[in-house]
This record gives sequence, C-alpha cells and structure tokens, in this order.
Amino acid sequence: MPTTIAAENLSKAFSGAPLFSGLSFSASRGLVAVAGKNGSGKTTLLKILAGLARPTAGRVRVETDPSGSTSPSARRLAVGWAGPDLQLYGALTALENLAFFRRAAGRPARGEELVARLRDVGLAEGAVHRRVEEFSTGMKQRLRVAFAVLFDPAVLILDEPMVGLDVEGRETVDRVVAAARERGPVLLASNDERDFVRPDQRLDLSPAGARA
Amino acid sequence: MSALAAAWVVCAKDATEELRRKVAIVAVFFFAATAVTLVSFAMVGALALPPADRPPLEAALLWIILFFAAATGLPRAFVAEEEAGTGLALRKTIPAAVVLAGKTLFNFLLFLAMAVITIPGFLILLDWKAGSPAGVAATMLAGGYGLAVVSTFLSALVARAGQRNVLFVLIAFPLLLPLLQAAIAATIEATAGGFPATALRVLVAYDGAATCGAYMLASVAWED
Amino acid sequence: MKALKLLLLPYLAVVIAAAFLWPEPAAGFIGESSRIVFFHVPCAWTSTLAFLVAAVYSAAYLWKRNPWYDDVAAAAVRLGLLFGVLTLVTGSLFANVMWGSWWNWDPRESSYLLLVFLYAAYLFLRAAVEDPDRRPRIAAAYALFAVVLMPFLTFVAPRITASLHPQTVINPQGKVLMDTPTRAVFFGALAGFSGLFAWMLSVDARAGRLRRIGQDILGS
Repeated sequence: MPTTIAAENLSKAFSGAPLFSGLSFSASRGLVAVAGKNGSGKTTLLKILAGLARPTAGRVRVETDPSGSTSPSARRLAVGWAGPDLQLYGALTALENLAFFRRAAGRPARGEELVARLRDVGLAEGAVHRRVEEFSTGMKQRLRVAFAVLFDPAVLILDEPMVGLDVEGRETVDRVVAAARERGPVLLASNDERDFVRPDQRLDLSPAGARA
Repeated sequence: MSALAAAWVVCAKDATEELRRKVAIVAVFFFAATAVTLVSFAMVGALALPPADRPPLEAALLWIILFFAAATGLPRAFVAEEEAGTGLALRKTIPAAVVLAGKTLFNFLLFLAMAVITIPGFLILLDWKAGSPAGVAATMLAGGYGLAVVSTFLSALVARAGQRNVLFVLIAFPLLLPLLQAAIAATIEATAGGFPATALRVLVAYDGAATCGAYMLASVAWED
Repeated sequence: MKALKLLLLPYLAVVIAAAFLWPEPAAGFIGESSRIVFFHVPCAWTSTLAFLVAAVYSAAYLWKRNPWYDDVAAAAVRLGLLFGVLTLVTGSLFANVMWGSWWNWDPRESSYLLLVFLYAAYLFLRAAVEDPDRRPRIAAAYALFAVVLMPFLTFVAPRITASLHPQTVINPQGKVLMDTPTRAVFFGALAGFSGLFAWMLSVDARAGRLRRIGQDILGS
C-alpha cells in the first residue's frame, strides 16, 4: 500500500517572524532532498512533518490507505524521525532503549530482533549492552538511525543523519535510505549536497520562503 | 497491549533509570529524613502536651513534610525528560496519556517509599501513636495517589518553562490544598483511633476528579 | 459595549448610594456592618464568574486555537484576581467589626484565599513560559485542570466543617431571606458588578491583544 506524505500551504512563524510560508509538496516514494542554509527552517519543517511541532498555518497529510488520512495515533508510528536533538536514555543500554520504545508503543520486543536492528546500523555486539551515556558521538548517531526505523515506518524523515559518522557509518545510512526509498518516501535534510544520493525531489528552503 | 500495560512499561523505565542514577530518590529521602529529625528536635517540648492535643499538630507536620518532600522529587517526572532531551523521543512514540499514567504510577511508588521513611521516623522520634493503622494506611494510599496525579500533571506543564522549582510549588499549592486538608483531617481521626470514612470519601472523589482531568488534558500539557 | 459603559457609571452610583441609604441594617449584625453584603458578595460573585469565564475561554482556545480567546481568558484571570482580593479585603473588614479579628481561617474565607492564590499561580505560570506559542496552551491546561478540582476548593471544604460565615443566599431552606429594599439593592449590585466586569474584561482583553500583536511585530 503506497504511503503519501503531503504538505498543504505550510507556514511557520516564531513570534511573528516568518520562517517559511506557503510550502506545498507531496511524495509517495523516493528520496526528497531538503536543502537550505543554517536557520532556513529545515529542522522545524521536518519536525512539523513528523508531528513533533505545529505549523502556524497549513496542514500535513499522511495517507497509508486510499480511503483517507491517517489518524494522529497511527501517524505517530507510520512516520519515522531522527534529528540532531533526538536523545535517548543515557542510563539505559542501547538494547534497553529500543526495547522500551517498542514495548511502550505496544509492539513486540524480541531480544534477537532488536540486536539484529542494532547490528544493521553498525553497532557491535559489545555496544548493544553498554549504557548509551558511554557511547561516542558516532555510536549515538547510529542509535538515532536505529530509532528512526524502529517501527519499520512507511515514511522516513532524517535530519542531518551523517553528522559525526565515519565512512562506514555514512555507508550504513546510505543503505538504510536506499532500502526505505523503495518502500515509501524518505525526507533527508543536510547542509552537505553529497548526502543526497540521486534525489527524486528537492525542497529548497531559502530564508524568504520555500520552493519545491 | 493495553494502555495500562504500556503505562507500566513507562513506570518500569523510570524506575530503572532512577535506581541507576538515584537523583530523585536521594533528594526525596534526604529531605524527608532531615525534616523529620528537625521537626522531632524542635518538638521535644511539645511531647509534654496531653495525648489528646497532639494529633492535629502531628498530622499537620506529617503532611507538610510529605508535601515538601514530594515537591523535591515528584516534578522530576517530566522535567528530567526535558533536561536530558529525551522528551522528543517519548513524544514521537508514545501517546501523552500513557506517558502521564506511567509517570503517575512511578511517582505514587516514590511517594510510598517516602512514607516508609517518614512514618517510622514519626513513630520513633515523635512517639506518634497511630490509633487506627488501617486508617493511616488508607489515608497514605488515597492522599499519596492524589499527590502523585496532580504533581505529575503539573510537572508536564512546567517541564519547558523557566524557574521550574519555584513555579512548581506555586502552581501546585492551591490545587493540592484541598487534598492536604482532607488528608490531615483523615490522619487526625486515624491517629485518635477512628476510621476516617468522611475524609477518605473526599480524598477518593478528589483523586477521581484529578485523574479524569489529567487524563483529558495530558496531550495539551505535554505535546505540541 | 459603549452603551454599557455609559449606563454603568450612573447605575453604579445609584446602587452605591442606595446601599447606604435605602435598606435598614439587618438584624443580628453589629451597627451598619450588614451593608457590606452589597459590596462583598458581588465581588465574590464576580471573582467566581471570572474564573468560569476564564475556563470557558480556555476551552474555546484549545478547540479553535484563536488567540483572542486566550486574550480573554488571561484578562478574566487578572480581573478575577482583582475582585478576589477585594472580596478578601471587604470580608476582612467585616470580620474585624463582627468578631474583632481580621482573619479567622473560616473555611469560606480560606476558600477565597485559595482562589486568589490560584489566580496568581496562573499568571505566574503564563509569565514563566517563554515560548509564546506554547504559553496559551499551557495556561489553558492549568485553568481547565483547576476547574476540575474547583468544587473541592470552594464547595466541599466549607461544607464539611462548621463555619462562622453568615448564612449565604444559597441556603438549605432555598429561600431568599431578605426584605424588599435589601433584595432590590443586593440584586442591583450583583447586576452592576457583573456589568462592570463585562466592560473591564472587554477593555483588558483588547489591551492584551494589542500587546500580543505589538510583540509579534517587534519580534520580541
């Protein structure tokens, strides 16, 4: 079932100062490159699309079936998100973190499956049982990516996923994105053009507004 | 999986974190222990009061200590999430009502743990005689639950505001006073030996109202 | 609203004059002190009305997300605080005349003190939330939570303990125990204070909206 994520006339202003306005786009498959200078609103836009912030005007539609829009609760897990200010629980291990979110969302949390997910993002066996507060920047970033795909979302949103990653880490993210873009839309924001691998669409956020 | 089971998962996570970090537990226990000792020391003269005159004083002191100890530790429920930056991950995955329920449960357990320190302290250091242990236990459960629900909900409100500690006490006080009044009245009666049915009815009604209000307003308080 | 404003001044002047000149002082009260009922009770009523208005507009804000509703709710709380303080002051004056002390921890007295604390807490909470997008929602959540617990503040406590406070209009017999002049001035004062509240609410809410728009323009 194809999933569409669409923005209709999205605007965001902070205390009257506009960040972007009149932004519309739609995607059901493939990579959407979200580009723009620092402060152009990429992070805010992605949070709005992920349901973590409200727009000042306009709306976001996520449709997982042709009969209509998805309810907010279903959308919560249908859209995966990871961004630079995503933090996980430092006092818990990587495995405990993933298990917690799975169980609290009412999904099964089998140990072997979660370990496999952590291996998929390049976290070694030893790291799986270490507390997240002991992780390096790169390891934390890999864990963020694991969080984003934890519920096998139909829509994947990644905000600056390559920050802090070594070459292997970047290849891992490329693999995750490549797999996800076959199933549904992937929105990827970055300051580095090299992070966009054959994008199908492009959203350029300029300070004055946005062009799709 | 039911919402209650999911709430229990949240509670268990908070408990695991707390047992490993020991921030709230230490603060709350230290406060309760210090307060009980200080009160006992200051009250030495009052121990000479006739037994019939002591229940109102003891009940009031007990609940004052419990209220301020709670104010030290219970707001951490949501404030800690924002300070650690984990609020976003929670909001992304779990409905606000479930998070609130789980944290309320954890705060209730924290309160009971606090009561376990404070009450023996009162029994020993202040020579407190709890005439009706069942009455005291029922009051602790009903009063503690109400304190937990209201504190957890208000914690969500102040989590992303400034001056959180002062703010919490200021906004909690007017809402908790009816609960404290009823709890104190119940404790007085239980100390004197009677089972405080009327006051407990008020407490239970308050608990019910607070639970409904918190549940209905959870997403307004916590999400964006 | 303009008509209301023009009518209010002469109307309230008449009510205040009548309060001191028309009805006889009530039996069972010291001297002329029963006249306070024409001021104290309308203040208390207005303070409670303000709370209900704030709650309704808070709910309306959460439903429609119209910032004007938040402006009205905040203005209602500010006025609720003002009339609440006036209630306490007039009540305290009466208490001193009748019982020789300014404050007695009477349950009804205490419940209004609590209401004043609640208003102050709401305003403090608003001031402490720095994000102007979140402020109306947080304030509305607090107001509505307080509404849910309100019955315990104002009704349960005064009723489970004996009170010094004089028998209220809403009494167990269900009848208004006043003579005609007293009843006329009393309900006249009630209507006058309600009108005063409506007018002040309109002015304060509009001022609040201008402040908000001004801050948006200045970007502060």
